[in-house]
Amino acid sequence: MKRLDLAMFVALLPILVCSHLLQSSTARALAQPAYASRQLLWLVLGAVLLLLFAFSDYRLLLRLAPLFYVAALLALAAMLFLAPLRAGTRSWLVLGPYTVQPSEFARIAAILAAAALGARHQKELLAGRTALQLTAVVAAPALLVALQPDLGVALTFVPILLAVLWLGGLPWRTWVVLALSVLLLAAAAWLWYLKPYQRERILTFLEPDRAPAGAGYQQRQSRIAVGSGGLTGRGLRSGTQSQLRFLPAQDTDFIFAVWAEETGFVGSVFLVLCYATVALRLFAIALAARDRGGTLLAATVAVVFTTQTLVNMAMVVGLAPTTGITLPLLSRGGSSLLATCISLGLAQSVWRLRFANL
Amino acid sequence: MIFVRDDLRPVRRRTVVFLACFVLAFAVIAFRLFSLQVVQAPYWRSLAENNRLRRLPLEAPRGLVTDCNGQVVMDNRPAFQLLLFPEEMKEPERTIQFLTRLGLAEEGEVRARVARAQRTSHLPSVIADNLSWAQMAAVAAHRADFQELAVHPATRRAVPAGPAVAHLVGQLGEVSPAQLAADSRLRPGQLVGKSGIELSYQEVLGGVPGNLVVVVDALGRQVSTLDEEPPKPGHPLTLTVDLELQREAAKAMAGLVGSVVGIDPRDGAVRVLLSEPSFDPDLFAGHLEPARWASLVADPLKPLQNRALQALYPPGSTIKPIFAAGALADGVRTPAQSVYCTGTSTIYGHPYRCWLAGGHGHVSLERGIEVSCDTFFYRLAFDAGLTRLAAWARRLGLGEKTGIELAGEMAGLVPSDEWSRRSRGHPWYAGETISVGIGQGPILVTPLQLAVAYAALVNGGFLVTPHLVPEGGKPPRPTGIDPAVLATVRRGMERVVAGEQGTARRLASLPVAIAGKTGTSQVMRKKEGVKWQELPWEQRHHALFVGYAPPAEPTLVVVAVVEHGGDASSVAAPIVARILAKAFGHDVEISTPQLLLANPSYQPEPTPPSGGPAQLAEVRP
Repeated sequence: MKRLDLAMFVALLPILVCSHLLQSSTARALAQPAYASRQLLWLVLGAVLLLLFAFSDYRLLLRLAPLFYVAALLALAAMLFLAPLRAGTRSWLVLGPYTVQPSEFARIAAILAAAALGARHQKELLAGRTALQLTAVVAAPALLVALQPDLGVALTFVPILLAVLWLGGLPWRTWVVLALSVLLLAAAAWLWYLKPYQRERILTFLEPDRAPAGAGYQQRQSRIAVGSGGLTGRGLRSGTQSQLRFLPAQDTDFIFAVWAEETGFVGSVFLVLCYATVALRLFAIALAARDRGGTLLAATVAVVFTTQTLVNMAMVVGLAPTTGITLPLLSRGGSSLLATCISLGLAQSVWRLRFANL
Repeated sequence: MIFVRDDLRPVRRRTVVFLACFVLAFAVIAFRLFSLQVVQAPYWRSLAENNRLRRLPLEAPRGLVTDCNGQVVMDNRPAFQLLLFPEEMKEPERTIQFLTRLGLAEEGEVRARVARAQRTSHLPSVIADNLSWAQMAAVAAHRADFQELAVHPATRRAVPAGPAVAHLVGQLGEVSPAQLAADSRLRPGQLVGKSGIELSYQEVLGGVPGNLVVVVDALGRQVSTLDEEPPKPGHPLTLTVDLELQREAAKAMAGLVGSVVGIDPRDGAVRVLLSEPSFDPDLFAGHLEPARWASLVADPLKPLQNRALQALYPPGSTIKPIFAAGALADGVRTPAQSVYCTGTSTIYGHPYRCWLAGGHGHVSLERGIEVSCDTFFYRLAFDAGLTRLAAWARRLGLGEKTGIELAGEMAGLVPSDEWSRRSRGHPWYAGETISVGIGQGPILVTPLQLAVAYAALVNGGFLVTPHLVPEGGKPPRPTGIDPAVLATVRRGMERVVAGEQGTARRLASLPVAIAGKTGTSQVMRKKEGVKWQELPWEQRHHALFVGYAPPAEPTLVVVAVVEHGGDASSVAAPIVARILAKAFGHDVEISTPQLLLANPSYQPEPTPPSGGPAQLAEVRP
């Protein structure tokens, strides 16, 4: 235990406590008491997985990465045909009373595979061929997820790609080309792929008063919730925006708004600091890693965790459009929680083995 | 083998770049939180309060209205209203379509109500009242889709006495923007009195609405009550009206067009005030449907008009006792002085015919009233002149409003030369004075004015103010007519019923002694040799009767006017008799010759009462 990064645990503990408090608060508001107890079970399970992966050898896992990766691709492909259609997507597997979201775990496999691939190329700059390989490795599962279709989760694959390309050292010319192609892709997606409601979300973000009743409603209610919290908040389980259900998706996408409303500026900044500490420790681990694989693995985990956190928080406070990206550790959902815990466990493993002989 | 250590420095450098970016991003988030939660907190807090609080109006129940015997004229019954909260309406078009599907009203009307509600966006408006169970269920089922709608328990005005008191109690209607601006206690969509007692006593009956502040959730469900300011109900009101008599009058007037007014001659307390045809007052108890309103307005028989104080009729022979009193008081006639009636008298070179072709022979003033001799009053008018006739009429309250609490009263017309020049553009013709002497031509009264004038004749000469609420009357004004004069006139009116040749002698056999005067006012020139029963309805004369009882100490004066009733003694007199008998405890059913009554029919433009050449003025009593 002493070899693990305790600072990260010190920051994680309040997040996990908040998670439970919030889940019981929203479960009450939504009149779904089972949500809170089930999420508590996931929390315990997540903690166990975190420790389990912390004591694993990430080098072994990196060597086995292709295996996990292929399994993940097969699973995602199978989802398209086997999974039941729930809320318009095929992203859920139903196991008795539980539902599992394999795409969350596929992301771990993608991180491992990308890190393993990146570690094989020990040059200062990334060769074009390697860059293409990395892109393909990350894009394949992301496309399968996008086909389910689950755009929110698919988007969380983008930071993986950015991380490994940047860390591997992609020449700046290639970045320019990449940026242009992303713009082109975005334009193409706008025209042919995005559904009207998704376009509306982006437009609404750019112009909030565009549709106060439709897509703007969520953002507006979220900002009302955050703002009405004031300095010290309205008290746990006393937020009117959440308890009276004006706030949509309060147990998932907008859970941070519940916390901000009920604990105010003091509570929300405290939580932001906790997340920032976790992020800081993840980057510290990446910097302390003994080998390229460990560095890439920890840094990718750090980038994925941090971008997801920031994008979600930015959405809640009205700085980013509604994307359906959840807040790691806090939003309800077992698969996401377990996957996050596994990735944090992997980072801890990198930290634990930082002095190990190669 | 030489072990080459992998150079991690470039990777670490790039990692630090990431780290710096993210630290910056976290700082941005924290700054944004500071701005939302500390700087702008009051603004967002008020928006959150708006989200959760709803101010519901609590309508004040309007005051109970009872008659002089404690019988209920108007009370309230429970009903359900539909409230619209304009602020929460996201798509007005969708809401309008839904409300139309509910069957509340025609689409245009729904649109108008929603538009009206939107003008006062911070307060809810009543979109419909008297919801049916099916409509309430439909609203409840769509609560999540239409959070701007709420079903709200309230009360609705109930008028158990129905059409018989419709004109009396008057109508409720939605408060006007002007009223709203003038009185802060009023709410948009609130019902206030628009006519009748509801209008005159709005201050008494209205009460003060209250408020209920409730916490609602995102689906518009009420979660809890935060604050309640109970409404102050309207005060009860007791009327001088006798519902028994009012109902009796309605029964007697069934199918006829006209009005009945009954007042206590001693103080002017109104006992009966009826106008026929009437309407169902429940139509006006809530928010009116314009279609039904339009049909009432378009009805040629004008059911919305309160004929008792808004319809003008030539008084016909009912003017005779009034002029008789004036002539005696001013010495134009003495009680003993008589006139010889041959059936025709020639004045200003024109023949004026008495209604009795053969003539009445010697006619004294008392007998002139008894037999309603036209010749006597032609001569009287000739001797008196227009100025004195007008003064006598005015002295008994004709030509001016009686001052009853109800709005829209007409003043009637007492002619003068000046009036003729001003409104008709020609001077007064002397011959017209002769017609006015028998209540024809340009002299117009309301049934209520007639009642007030007769009250003064029989109460010792005091002009009373008719009123509907006991404390509503002003003290009676003395007219200064000598009691001995009034006694003579009253003897004449007693002979109308009791005398052998009285024009209403058929009422002599009633269980109660009554007195009064018949009157028939001409609508069209009489055709020679045509009986009135054979004329079409709209060409028949108006039938009038003013009666009072008991003759010695009258406590009730009743006026009945039957438009195009044809004959006063057989149509109007029995109605008055029936009410007087009822008032003194007798149920009598005097057969109105129904066979003689034509059905009221549409009359495009009522022929004005003859005001022209005097020879036309030939009139039945």
